[in-house]
Amino acid sequence: MSRDLRLDRLAKTFPNGTAALGDLSADIAAGAFVSLLGPSGCGKSTVLRLIAGLEEPTRGRVEWPQTRGSLGVIFQEPTLMAWASAAKNVALPLELAGMAKTQARERACGALEKVDLAGFADALPRELSGGMRMRVSIARALVADPDVLLMDEPFAALDEFTRGKLNDDLLRLWAERGFTGVFVTHSVFEAVYLSQRILILSGRPGRLVADIQNPAPYPREPGYRTSAAFNATARDILDVLEEVSTC
Amino acid sequence: MLMQVLRIILPIALFAGLIQFWEWSVVYWEIQPFILPPPSAILAVFETDGASLLGSAWTTLGTTLAAFALAVFSGTALAALFASSRIAEAALSPYAVILQVTPIIAIAPLIIVWVGLDNAWLAVLILAWIAAFFPVLASATAGLKAVDPNLRDLFRLYRADFRQTFIRLMVPSSLPYLLAGIKTAGGLALVGAVVAEFAAASGNTNGLAWRILEAGNRLQIAKMFAALLLLALMGVALYAILSFVEWLLLHRWHGDRRRA
Repeated sequence: MSRDLRLDRLAKTFPNGTAALGDLSADIAAGAFVSLLGPSGCGKSTVLRLIAGLEEPTRGRVEWPQTRGSLGVIFQEPTLMAWASAAKNVALPLELAGMAKTQARERACGALEKVDLAGFADALPRELSGGMRMRVSIARALVADPDVLLMDEPFAALDEFTRGKLNDDLLRLWAERGFTGVFVTHSVFEAVYLSQRILILSGRPGRLVADIQNPAPYPREPGYRTSAAFNATARDILDVLEEVSTC
Repeated sequence: MLMQVLRIILPIALFAGLIQFWEWSVVYWEIQPFILPPPSAILAVFETDGASLLGSAWTTLGTTLAAFALAVFSGTALAALFASSRIAEAALSPYAVILQVTPIIAIAPLIIVWVGLDNAWLAVLILAWIAAFFPVLASATAGLKAVDPNLRDLFRLYRADFRQTFIRLMVPSSLPYLLAGIKTAGGLALVGAVVAEFAAASGNTNGLAWRILEAGNRLQIAKMFAALLLLALMGVALYAILSFVEWLLLHRWHGDRRRA
């Protein structure tokens, strides 16, 4: 299986002079679920874009084991093609890779089933609710069975109920597929609920200020949200954030 | 229900009333027919001069449609070139703008000299094309630039090549913009064709504008109105057809413009 993903002294300064990220090093174990937590403007999204290869780091590098692993990405917006059905949207990564349409559609429908959208293969994005669109986006990110799933505050725009449900769906899929999850969020509670490990970023340029393990076992049930263990981890994080709240 | 019926009936009733009032007022105030002919006299023109008017309408419509097709094709192609190369856009877009902002009527005499009065139809075609070209280019360029940056990132992430990105992302994203531009271009092609026919002012073009000039010189005001009526009908038909095409292509995913 794949080895770890290493971020080696990553730094990014944009051409306009904004230093988004300064000197971030971290090893992300294969198959781990890691959250990047911090207030907006801490370079969290920049880290994801650097891992995805959508930006080049100014300094440092992203080290992949042997070859670059396959990636799935979920953006803050569902980012669907408005003119294409749910199945067409999900099939996109497969079709771009050259898979035949019928086969791609079959796998897309399978992926939609996994996110409880079995009956919506032919629905257009505008016919779906916000939560359902985000599910389509999740199905698309996972359809090609990526080694690494990058998530950029994917549920920030959703209501509390939908968000909780999608958190549970995400953990279920992670347990089934065993991808490495890198989850960017500014919600302490979402980070604690989902992750094995939480990297707290702060400052401008962003840098790593704490690396907190969350030993709570999986599967995590909704009851975990109100448990003493959950509170203890959340408390640790809030303490760190209070110390460094400068962003 | 009642409102829906009214929305159809009221405009028709108003139109019929206005026509009736026109007919009546010409008689009542004894307006000379070379100032304002009654609607009945305009209709009568179609009985006497119908064949020549329809023939001219056919000519004008033909050039308009040809120029429109050329404009859609060339405008889209140039916009695609702009989208694939910023250098090409920087180098060529000033000329497109110059062509656009210079009034057609002012270019017309030059074009007519260049192609020769014997080929006046070609001058008309070129001028109508110039008029219709820019809205297509501008809207297609704007549309190609309006692609959702996240979707663009997604295509990059999955290593889509330019052809895949263009066909699967840029064309569908820009379609609403392009179709709006095409709708404008349809009307402008007709305007361009008529303006060019006026500028050529020669029986060589044999279009509706020539019929209007000819009738004007002979004070056949009813015939002028008849030609105007045909032009208006053509413009409305063009707009209606293009709106219908737009609806066909967009109403499912874009109809209510809700965000997706």
